[in-house]
Amino acid sequence: MATAAPSLAADRLDRLSRIWRERSGLVGWLTTTDHKRIGILYFFTSLAFFGAGGVEALLIRTQLLGPDQTVLSADAFNKAMTMHGVTMIFLFVIPMSTGAFGNYLLPLMIGARDMAFPRLNALSYWIFLASGIFLYVGLASGDAPSAGWFNYVPLASKTYSPGPGIDFYALGLIFNAISTTAAAINFIVTIFNLRAPGMSLNRMPLFCFAFLAVSFALVFALPPLTCALLLLELQRLLGFHFYDVTAGGDPILWQNLFWIFGHPEVYIIILPAFGIATAIIPTFTRRRMVAFPLVALAELLVAFIGFGVWVHHMFAVGLATATTVYFAAASLIIVIPSGIQLFAWITTIVTGTPRFKTPLLWIVGFIVLFMLGGLSGVAFAAIPFDQQVTDTYFVVAHFHYVIFGAAVFPILGGMFYWFPKVTGRMYYERWGQASFWLTFAGMNLTFFPMHIVGLLGMPRRQYTYPADMGWTGLNLLESIGAYLLAAGLLMVVVNLAVSLFRGERAGNDPFGGDTLEWATTSPPPAYNFPVIPKVSSPYAMWDAEDREEDARNLERGRRVLEQGHETPSSTAVDADWDEVLSMPSNSIWPPVLALAMAGIFAFLLLKLWIVAGIFLLVCLAVLGAWHAREPQEAA
Amino acid sequence: MLIAAIALGVAGCGGKQSTLDTHSTQSHDIRTLWWWMLVVAGIVFLGAIAMLTIGWIRRSRPGLPFFGQSERVETRLVVLFGMVIPVVVLVALFFVANVYVIGKTEPPKPGSTAMSVEVTGHQWWWEAHYPGTTAVTANEIHIPAATRVEVIGNTDDVIHSFWVPELNRKIDLIPGRNNRLLLDADSPGVYRGQCAEFCGLQHAHMSFEVIAQPPAQFRAWLQNMAADARPPTTPAEQAGQQDFMADQCASCHTIRGTAAQGQIGPDLTHLASRSTIAALTLPNDAEYLPRWIRDPQHFKPGNRMPGLNLSDQDVAALVSYLRSLR
Amino acid sequence: MTDIPRSMEATSGPAAARVDAERRTLPRGVWAIALVIATEFTLFASLIATYFYLRFRTDSWPPDGIPDPSVVMPLVLTGVLIVSTVPMAAAVRAARAARRRAAWWLVALAAAIQGTYLGLQIHLFTDDFHRFSPSDDAYASIYFTLLGVHHAHVAVGLVLDAWLLAVLAFGLTNYRLLALRVASYYWYFVAAIGVAVVFTQIYPSL
Ligand code: HEA
Ligand code: HEA
Ligand code: HEC
Ligand code: CUA
Ligand SMILES: [Cu+2]
Repeated sequence: MATAAPSLAADRLDRLSRIWRERSGLVGWLTTTDHKRIGILYFFTSLAFFGAGGVEALLIRTQLLGPDQTVLSADAFNKAMTMHGVTMIFLFVIPMSTGAFGNYLLPLMIGARDMAFPRLNALSYWIFLASGIFLYVGLASGDAPSAGWFNYVPLASKTYSPGPGIDFYALGLIFNAISTTAAAINFIVTIFNLRAPGMSLNRMPLFCFAFLAVSFALVFALPPLTCALLLLELQRLLGFHFYDVTAGGDPILWQNLFWIFGHPEVYIIILPAFGIATAIIPTFTRRRMVAFPLVALAELLVAFIGFGVWVHHMFAVGLATATTVYFAAASLIIVIPSGIQLFAWITTIVTGTPRFKTPLLWIVGFIVLFMLGGLSGVAFAAIPFDQQVTDTYFVVAHFHYVIFGAAVFPILGGMFYWFPKVTGRMYYERWGQASFWLTFAGMNLTFFPMHIVGLLGMPRRQYTYPADMGWTGLNLLESIGAYLLAAGLLMVVVNLAVSLFRGERAGNDPFGGDTLEWATTSPPPAYNFPVIPKVSSPYAMWDAEDREEDARNLERGRRVLEQGHETPSSTAVDADWDEVLSMPSNSIWPPVLALAMAGIFAFLLLKLWIVAGIFLLVCLAVLGAWHAREPQEAA
Repeated sequence: MLIAAIALGVAGCGGKQSTLDTHSTQSHDIRTLWWWMLVVAGIVFLGAIAMLTIGWIRRSRPGLPFFGQSERVETRLVVLFGMVIPVVVLVALFFVANVYVIGKTEPPKPGSTAMSVEVTGHQWWWEAHYPGTTAVTANEIHIPAATRVEVIGNTDDVIHSFWVPELNRKIDLIPGRNNRLLLDADSPGVYRGQCAEFCGLQHAHMSFEVIAQPPAQFRAWLQNMAADARPPTTPAEQAGQQDFMADQCASCHTIRGTAAQGQIGPDLTHLASRSTIAALTLPNDAEYLPRWIRDPQHFKPGNRMPGLNLSDQDVAALVSYLRSLR
Repeated sequence: MTDIPRSMEATSGPAAARVDAERRTLPRGVWAIALVIATEFTLFASLIATYFYLRFRTDSWPPDGIPDPSVVMPLVLTGVLIVSTVPMAAAVRAARAARRRAAWWLVALAAAIQGTYLGLQIHLFTDDFHRFSPSDDAYASIYFTLLGVHHAHVAVGLVLDAWLLAVLAFGLTNYRLLALRVASYYWYFVAAIGVAVVFTQIYPSL
């Protein structure tokens, strides 16, 4: 083995960037395996889907602006409503939080040079993109699903939804689930295998704990959905029977399978947001998180208990009282880990010396909104009350508070927080604060009245409503709020877009951050860190001696790994340095494989079984080509 | 929050289908539960906001007021507010809601009520049968006031949800299941209900009325409902009946006592006694009935009744016949 | 630094074996297959739960007109599938001892058994298909779906075998050794879940 020779730090950096250089231009983006570039791809793609889902939302709100409106036909409304839910959940929040934030930040925070499986990571992205396009091809061809995002049978069966809309939904989501599962597995392996030597589990940032919990939840939550969708498609395409009573099936089977996935899913949505909150709060309050171990435990517990509450979406189904009461109790128990985290954040803010800069503002907004949404969620665990307000706008209010308020606000805060890291430039602070207040006001104006209108008896998923129900004024307010909200979000986008070109230079660590991503340059080099960082606490950036040692190590050529496309691998718990891994670099196969897989799904939808089979063979061939070159040969 | 609560209180008096404007002990109990939950949630929320405010006021001073910087105190604070207090609150909520109120609003035990109504959901209208009688009606369910009535719900197609907020919580109507619900209106009145489970295109136009009447009045109504349709008397009505049988109406609608025995649409035997048509979409009057018959797809696009391109004359005859069916 | 093994340099059988013996972490591939197994396990759990959910919603299972499932052949075949894990495990041992040739032959043996298994299962499957159809009713649907999904897993395993045989023929590297280990875990899973599947399948005849 050749030992490191050059003594100059600059030489080392030079060599690293040569080793880690990616192709340039479009080819570079197609073949990239760099987790940061993949994160950026995820970011723009899911942002575009956010825009699409937002346009659908604004169409919904415009239609409901007043009674008996005809902006959208009943059919168009139902499609917009369904696509809004599906887009926001599957094509925006999850890919944005795990795909964009997780991908970009997680390896940086644990001091690794890439994800455990860089090519799989690229594949996840390309499949996600393909599945999103797949769903939107449905919309463009006029056959979008229109049975709501939870797609209850028998409405979603061939008899009542004869067109291919539901097939787009079901096949698209199976396809999407492959991407998400692969990403989740990748995160878990990265966390357990690639942490910088010395970062034992108790020194891992809480952000990473949140992503660990999310990834585990995804691994176990998606199969029930896949199963439900598989059975649905077998029924729709081949005439099997699972959900129709006349042939021994049962529609409630769908509801069970869907919500066994669906409830964990909502915690999957919220946990990355918790992670972002626990990353931003210490930085801006200039202190460590209060009750760190309790918060880490709570993050894992939320993900775990989330698997035992699904029936609370089915209280009106008429199940045995004993069953519903059991699940109501479980829904109450899950409040406790949420409460612990909530008060840990609040106490950290109270006892710290907070600077209320834009990122922290979004997090404070998140705390307030999460509390409101959480408290209405608790009310649903009171079964008689739930059976009054379920399927009304009260539920719509609840979940937009927890989803928009509690999941999207931290995402927006995170966009500001990490913007300097990703781009090397600062955003405009005053505009950032203004956009927060505008969005916060718009958010409450849109969704608070929905509680009231729900209590006044307005069911959800109505394309129109009569004038004399007492709902008119409140709906008008909601629609005005939605436009304000959209304006606030547009302001965020414009602020960041302009800052990208005009912003001040940010430097490596503009906020005094606590985690390792701030140790490297902004934007980080392809190899992330010139020296594999030394870690002795979860607030690695605040351990100044360690960072000085990193600089000395660079001089001495220790922990540099300048011989190849390499990253260290360490033991799962104690993070003892065990091995040096060679990482695969650029590959064209991930997008090609995703394309071939899209072929399978497209031809299944068209019921051209043989062509679908041919695409399956193509996939195998691509996989063969993919694996023909082993990582050590690629290096 | 306070403003919101007041707004709610004010708004609660308005609205035709409000969970807060209650007319039975069941919905009343649920409403009381709601107000209590709101008060407790308000206290929790305001407490947390107060803490955040303290954080803002003391933004340049580290540590807690009185306790200073102590990790032990901080952790205890988290445990107290995040765990101890919630446990107490949640245990109380569990027993009040899921043991006490749930029992009081439960479906009746089979056979424990004086009468029951069978409600069937259709895309997108409601059918009601009165077991023990031949009475069938649509979108208008009469019950005796101050009487416990069992609703037995099922569906003819997709899942619907039967919901009369002013009387009780809702229950889904699911293929292959008979779900039950208790209606027990305090006093005579008209209580609006609506389908709450998304059921396709015209889910928004699937409303109904529960009409609670003094028992004697109810019995009279039921007797009339059970009777066959009144035969046509005037020539216009007779022409209308002929048209009804000749045009395709009879293949979908039943008019008891005539040859019309269709099972697809609502029973029209006593159509004229109903105040609305098409599940509360239109008033049942001389203006809208003909317009509905001429072009049902205009008012309720996608509903299962086709426009039949009838001549004005036919429509007029049909209307005079249908309006005679009290 | 120099005492930290570089797996990339293990491009010969003995080197791969040495890296493998010295490694204290669970390698990436093993973590990944463990998680794949977790998610696949959940998929089968959902299908089997569906089976019993549907079963307990009706009285006659299987419904009139559909024959009870046969017991002997499926059980025997599951036994065969389990037996095939023995050469698989032996192949891993051989490879970890840098005995590439032995590993190749053992994988080939396992693949032969597994291939025979799948062939016979497909024969039974089509046999059933001639007697009743998955679109008859819920029982038939879940019966064919559950078995079909399991057979598909076996087929995927055979593809893995084929690829292993192809690369092992040209030498042993760290990468290939790991791939073999990963494939063996996959096969253990497929065999184990096969037990759950077969008992679900024959349950009405028990
Ligand atoms: C990000 C997503 C998210 C989150 C975090 C939550 C959080 C919770 N949700 Fe929500 N929920 C959804 C997303 C989410 N939900 C969605 C999308 C739906 C609708 C799906 C659809 O129908 O389309 C839904 C629907 C839904 C229902 C079904 C309603 C119905 O259809 O009838 C129920 C019922 O129990 C419920 C309960 C809860 C509970 C108990 C929590 C708890 O986790 C909340 C815990 C948090 C707090 C309580 C606040 C903080 C804690 C304190 C301040 C401590 C002190 C508290 C007390 C003393 C009470 N949710
Ligand atoms: C992540 C989840 C999420 C998010 C963020 C939102 C956001 C919004 N939702 Fe959504 N909503 C759901 C998830 C979500 N919703 C779900 C699951 C349902 C249930 C569906 C069903 O019943 O099946 C639902 C249902 C739902 C309804 C009820 C429909 C019905 O029952 O009939 C309404 C009604 O007002 C509504 C409104 C809104 C509004 C106004 C926003 C606004 O907050 C949106 C604001 C966003 C924008 C305006 C986009 C701005 C984006 C940019 C500026 C980026 C620009 C991009 C580029 C330039 C590339 N939603
Ligand atoms: C193909 C079946 C079909 C035919 C033919 C048909 N109807 Fe209907 N009709 C329906 C259905 C279904 C409804 C319920 C529509 C809804 O509310 O969604 C309905 C509703 C009505 C109503 C309103 C009933 C109520 O109480 O809400 C009237 C009145 C009516 N039809 C009259 C007629 C007349 C008159 C004709 C013939 C000219 C006719 N229908 C032909 C199916 C049919
Ligand atoms: Cu019927 Cu909604
Ligand atoms: Cu839930």
